[in-house]
Amino acid sequence: MSRKENTIRKSYRRRKILSRFMPLLALLLLFLSFLLAVEKKGYRTDLYLKIIFNETAVLAVVATGAIFIFTLGSFDISLGAATLFSATLGILTYMESQSVFLMIFVIFISGILCSLTSSLLASFFRIPAFVTTVAMMSVLTAVSTQIITSRGGALGGISIPSGLLKPLDTPYFKLLLMALYIGIAVFIFNFTKIGRRQKFIGANPLCAKLTGIRASRYTIIAFAMAGLGVGLGAFLTLIYTPSVTSGTAGSIGMNIIVAIVFGGMPISGGADSKIYAALIGGFSYTLLNNTLKILIEGNAGYGISQMVSALFFLLLVFITSMNYRSEQLPR
Amino acid sequence: MKKNLRNILSIALSCTLLIGALASCGGNGEPSAEKNQNVSGKNKENPATAEGGGEDRAFEAFKTGVLVADVSGEEALAFRDYYENYIAEQYPIEFLYSEQLEDAASERSAIEKFAAQGCKAIISFSGSDRARQIESCEENKLYYAVASGMLDDKQYEEHKDSPYFVAQIGPSMETEYNAGREMGKYFLEQGAEKIALYGAFIPNPMHVYRAAGVLSGLGLSYGGSDDKDAVAGQIFQDQGIKLEKVSGDQAELAAYFQGYGDTTTDELNAAIQAEPDAFISVGMATTFFTQQLNTSAVPFSDIDSFTSGNRKAMEEGELTYLAGKYSSSVGPVIAAVINAVNGHPLRNEDGSALSVSQDYQVASDLESFDRYFKADRGSSPIYDKNLLDQMIGQDTDLETFTKLVHNPA
Amino acid sequence: MQNSKRERRKHKFSALIRALFIPFLFAAVLSLISAANGKAMIPNRSAFHNFVIYTAIVMLTTMALSINLNSGRFDFSLGAMALFSSLIAAKLTYAVLGGGPGSAVMIFVLSLAAGACLGLISGLIYVLLRIPPIITSLGVTLIYEGAIYTITGGRYVMEEVQNASMAAFSAHAVYALIIIAAVLGLMIYLFNYTVFGFNYRALKEGQKVAVHTGIKEIPNALACYAISGGLMGMVGFMNAARNTNINGGNLNFSSVGIMFTAFLPMFIGSYIGRFINTEIGFFLAALCMSMLNSCFAAFSNQINASAQAIINALLLLLFLIYLSNENLLRNVLQNTAGKRKAADHD
Repeated sequence: MSRKENTIRKSYRRRKILSRFMPLLALLLLFLSFLLAVEKKGYRTDLYLKIIFNETAVLAVVATGAIFIFTLGSFDISLGAATLFSATLGILTYMESQSVFLMIFVIFISGILCSLTSSLLASFFRIPAFVTTVAMMSVLTAVSTQIITSRGGALGGISIPSGLLKPLDTPYFKLLLMALYIGIAVFIFNFTKIGRRQKFIGANPLCAKLTGIRASRYTIIAFAMAGLGVGLGAFLTLIYTPSVTSGTAGSIGMNIIVAIVFGGMPISGGADSKIYAALIGGFSYTLLNNTLKILIEGNAGYGISQMVSALFFLLLVFITSMNYRSEQLPR
Repeated sequence: MKKNLRNILSIALSCTLLIGALASCGGNGEPSAEKNQNVSGKNKENPATAEGGGEDRAFEAFKTGVLVADVSGEEALAFRDYYENYIAEQYPIEFLYSEQLEDAASERSAIEKFAAQGCKAIISFSGSDRARQIESCEENKLYYAVASGMLDDKQYEEHKDSPYFVAQIGPSMETEYNAGREMGKYFLEQGAEKIALYGAFIPNPMHVYRAAGVLSGLGLSYGGSDDKDAVAGQIFQDQGIKLEKVSGDQAELAAYFQGYGDTTTDELNAAIQAEPDAFISVGMATTFFTQQLNTSAVPFSDIDSFTSGNRKAMEEGELTYLAGKYSSSVGPVIAAVINAVNGHPLRNEDGSALSVSQDYQVASDLESFDRYFKADRGSSPIYDKNLLDQMIGQDTDLETFTKLVHNPA
Repeated sequence: MQNSKRERRKHKFSALIRALFIPFLFAAVLSLISAANGKAMIPNRSAFHNFVIYTAIVMLTTMALSINLNSGRFDFSLGAMALFSSLIAAKLTYAVLGGGPGSAVMIFVLSLAAGACLGLISGLIYVLLRIPPIITSLGVTLIYEGAIYTITGGRYVMEEVQNASMAAFSAHAVYALIIIAAVLGLMIYLFNYTVFGFNYRALKEGQKVAVHTGIKEIPNALACYAISGGLMGMVGFMNAARNTNINGGNLNFSSVGIMFTAFLPMFIGSYIGRFINTEIGFFLAALCMSMLNSCFAAFSNQINASAQAIINALLLLLFLIYLSNENLLRNVLQNTAGKRKAADHD
């Protein structure tokens, strides 16, 4: 092996290690910056950490489910709307039946059904999944808004009694739920043929098809996993606040994409997909936003912190994606 | 070359980040505990005391968190300006503002952040889930006051005895209804027969009650009913006002539309083409439609705030009636909060949280507009320090306080 | 020879009929629905002016979206670009003319230029960072939204766009018609008769092959972003004139909605484009959308915003289902017809 080849190989390996660990490193740095900012301002760290956890929990869970879809090279923009829809149906069920178990059942079933509907429409009618999810987003938001406003009346929202899920509103219980779901997701993604085949389909759908892998089956599994995440996200939302308004989970849809990319997942999916990207990215994004909001005050601060956050996001993605650069412009 | 450019760009990005972070760190370095003891708000001359009513009064310096659902509306900015640039100058209070809150979860999160930042009280302009806001404040031992809107009766009954729930001072749904009704009545008395109505963001409860009030003021029934709650209930159910359900012989509702989107220009155009005698809006018309209504010479009304833009519309344009709030109308809430934080909360006789409905001020000509606009500016607001001092302190009684809320003059 | 000419003419005629089928279908169905309910889709002259302006807005947005999307470049920042360019133009114009005569022309020109610059900046970030365009556009959207908010303090910009000059633009369809004609002509020329257009198509169809044949991808991509930005600049101007304000309070991706509304006209336009020309296809699709919008406005008391969103979503799905299963559907229909014929023979 020539010296030149050796140098190239070393540099490639270095870049690969950097891009693999960059999201984790960024999370660590952001965490330290956050702690510094909180400390510098004299704020309560314990309470702030709880806030960060609560703000990230729903995003991380829904985004973890979304990774299965993104791995296939597909896209779902309706997950935020689906979370709102599931929570709305859950509350509606409780209002009608007064049964907590039925409510939880409906939350999860509706989450899975929403997601499966998108996938079935896409695979049965052979239309691009992304466009299906755009349509689903409109429909789910419109239907939820209709239910919430007509049932909520002067309150502007619908709710369950605040004490109903209050005992579950502890970090330990939420951690347990998250660990359980993310554990299942990691297992399926990394240790079963489902995950391997999904990455294969994402990397090269034609090749996957030629080897006899049925993409539609794995698409349905991916959307079902995402649906489960949506259901859990809706349930966690209701544990945190027992009411929904038409604005509930509104920002999740786009933040999922940012969180996943922040966590080091290639947007095109495929072999380099990482199931933990959502968790890392979700926490990184929340930490970044909170740090900036602590540091930049005043009305103009909203705009400035968003700009700085976006620049940081682009910089991080630039560094993490250094490894997979092609001759042509990426698409 | 390309590589160099990329490197330059990444360095530039990093620098921007670093400079941004450093610049923002620079101004606010001191710990909050220290801040609480030494400097509060902008009242740095006499940080721990504020004078009022000719006698020295000692006030505890504290931070207040403000929950806002609207960060950029004229009214919201005017309130913010009053708190940050007047109240913070006069009293040892530092105001911390939330970001734009869109749901109950973000409201709870904001309250917890304020608790972590050392706030002692929360003033709420956000209404996604007020009951849950009170519970969060109780959990974090924060005083809580509503400055915009009011709790639903059932919710108020449930939470009124909480020692952390200080007060709700703002327009109740009844007040919203009355504001709409007065507006409707005004045009009826002016001889308007053909009306176009803009329902703003129905099913927003505030706009629903205002619209129900307008119908009542115009002598119109909806779905065969004149009852306030029944009409509001039907509007919620219909998600708007269905023209075919409106009946009455004193006035004709010639056009109705709501919301703001792609079809709005067409709907406004159709409303103008119906040649109404008046265009009544339950909110936001002065932001969205002033130019078109002025050009078409259609007299219009709105429930908004006393801003320079609205003054211009009243002076030169077709704005003939404005029900609104002035920026210092949120003064009494802060007085109630100061009392609570300083250990002498003002409560109802039965020990429950204060609940005072604050009426809208009405201007139907330039003179009445200026009463609120010119008299409520910058360093000389209507609720100035002299007036607020009468509402603050151990000696203040419920009657005086309520009287001053209703009639600051 | 004559036969082949006749064939060609026949083919052209048939293509024209097929291209006009969807707009006519929209017009017929929506007019019938309106008439059956005692309403008119376009009841008066100002409704017509508004109809034309909305057609222009949809056409330009659809073109701006499709230029990059057809090349696999997803752009979430279109809405933010429209708002930002019109904001820059309105502020500069107001500083110079104070809302006086000529304001509309100056805002239009500056908005177009600002839009092109913003598009170019977006393209430069994409080209220099070499990260997927969808990610670049997420970052750019947040940056532009943040910048708008910082400049405006989140307020609605009103004084700068409320003047007689801007009002005159929205009161007459002729200006929007001129914009439609000029943009249509320019886009047809640019994408069908220039080297840029040929390169664009080559890159669109086969990026790798095109690059290997020597086509310079980067200048082409940058030009696409600049054109797309310029188009959104015009959209920003027209929205400001039509709405008489610019919303400065968009944060956290609230400006991306505009992109989703352009999906349906883009698919319809691409379908019509098969028979005639893609750019004209976009124009005809924009006409359809504008008719639908006018119809929604006429029925606003019956169909609320939620119902409109659902109808739009269902139309999008139905059209895509048809588009993706066109061949299947044709085969089924042909088989059924064949069987019926055979049965008739028997």
